[in-house]
Amino acid sequence: MARKQQEEAEFEAMTRPLEGIPLPDLENLPDYERGFWEGTRSHELRIQRCSDCKKYRHPPSPMCPHCHSMNYEWPGTNGQGQVYSLVVVHHPVHRAIGEKEQVPYNICLIELEEQEGLRIISNVLDVPQDEISIGMPVEVTFMPTVDDPNVVLPMFVRARSD
Amino acid sequence: MTETITPADHNAIRDRAAIVGIGETEFSWDSGKSELQLASEAIKNACDDAGISPHDIDGMVRYDSDNNTETMLVQALGIKTLRHWESIAFGGGAGNATVGHAAAAIAAGYCNYAVCFRAGNLRSNVRLGQARGPERIPGGSRSFLVPWGAMAPAHNFGMFVRRYMHQYGATSRDFGWVAVTLRHHASRNPRALRRKPITIEDHQRSRMVADPLRLLDFCQENDGAAAIVMTTPERARDLRHSKTLVLVEAAAQGSGPSIDGVVFRPDLAVAESAHTARDLWSRARLTAKDMDAFMFYDHFTPFCLLGLEAYGFVPFGEARDFVQGGDNIRFDGILPTNTHGGNHSEAYIHGLTHPQEAVRLIRGTSTAQPPKKQINRVLSCSSTAQLSAAVIIRRG
Repeated sequence: MARKQQEEAEFEAMTRPLEGIPLPDLENLPDYERGFWEGTRSHELRIQRCSDCKKYRHPPSPMCPHCHSMNYEWPGTNGQGQVYSLVVVHHPVHRAIGEKEQVPYNICLIELEEQEGLRIISNVLDVPQDEISIGMPVEVTFMPTVDDPNVVLPMFVRARSD
Repeated sequence: MTETITPADHNAIRDRAAIVGIGETEFSWDSGKSELQLASEAIKNACDDAGISPHDIDGMVRYDSDNNTETMLVQALGIKTLRHWESIAFGGGAGNATVGHAAAAIAAGYCNYAVCFRAGNLRSNVRLGQARGPERIPGGSRSFLVPWGAMAPAHNFGMFVRRYMHQYGATSRDFGWVAVTLRHHASRNPRALRRKPITIEDHQRSRMVADPLRLLDFCQENDGAAAIVMTTPERARDLRHSKTLVLVEAAAQGSGPSIDGVVFRPDLAVAESAHTARDLWSRARLTAKDMDAFMFYDHFTPFCLLGLEAYGFVPFGEARDFVQGGDNIRFDGILPTNTHGGNHSEAYIHGLTHPQEAVRLIRGTSTAQPPKKQINRVLSCSSTAQLSAAVIIRRG
């Protein structure tokens, strides 16, 4: 019984962002990255898009790698996607992860609906971690970090079936 | 895929540089030595192996991540005139590029004796597998990885492995055969840090570190240094290993698109080095079938499978069958693979021990020397990395 409980605990769902690890310095970001973080503070997943050829790109960059335009915009996305790949971390490589007993946690590469190959890194919450799988439909939610409430992270949960 | 821009017949370095000396320090968990001392020792040992003095060195190709600069080593080694120096970005995956560049410098006549080296206290000082902090990230790809806990190589490369498993049905057990085989090779190698043989069950019982990667899928993090000395084939005939001429036949480097941040690229199930492989075979006018041994950059065991596929030893998706049971990749098998034990079990010197082992195999001095066949050509390469590099090393 104890062993079973231990195994269940091993894969219990992640429920909030990680604590105590490096966050972006919002005051000193390049201009072309600000739109992403302004979006998350408004609880909107905005992904950088070229104003000219209309291709999305992530992580943000100053120039469109397709048409080389320097013009970009920050449209909101519908926040829907699916898990493209994932890793479940069991060994803490950062002191705060170990001290605050934050393993296991998952890192998921989420492919967004807006464009084939458009992917962002996030965590999938509220799903037992051994149930997260490639292809799983997910949708965005937003949570401020404990360390700096101004940094709001897009997180993902299992998509609500309609 | 981009088009190959190099004409197939253009291989200006072909057979114009010889590897005449290899050397290393003791590999350890805590060297107690400065990194300058490690570099000096490894280079001196490589010069001794070649039969030259460090005073003869006039060319240097270093890793740009190495803390030893050219000026420090010119002074430490008593080099009279350094005629040529270069630094290669992205060690590890690009480690073989040091050999390719040194060969080009020799072929161009920029220097007489070039040395490639990597030296580091990669365990007792800063470890590549550890994240440091707290800190704020001033933007860039890290700020779109680290806040969600993607902080270590295993986190990023584990994404490739999971996707590869999904696409081709490979399993953790398949990767285990690579671990078992590399450890078997290390068990014969007195330089190796991990010499105790393991079984497939040991691998399967080893703890998950970053699922799907188990502890026994990881390379070592250790202290130590390695060095390689090169010169012209003509000079090589007057040096210590004159009876076995070891030549650089071809070299290639490559990247795919979207490489910053590692995971933000089109297809994670295919090794980026497919680009490198295509250029390499084209320049060399050879294929995987011409290779007698395979030295791959084993930061994580699954990349043996991706490498076998990227370089064309087996079709995509079939490497799991090829490594099954370990027989094919063992030193006495069809394709002797990392006969030194690799980063996995011998030591992690950021990829420079692989071309060194290629030299031993051609000389016939590997501690896991294939018993029944003469080794004439070895591929030393990396499979998945942001920037990958490969060289073909052959008997002259």
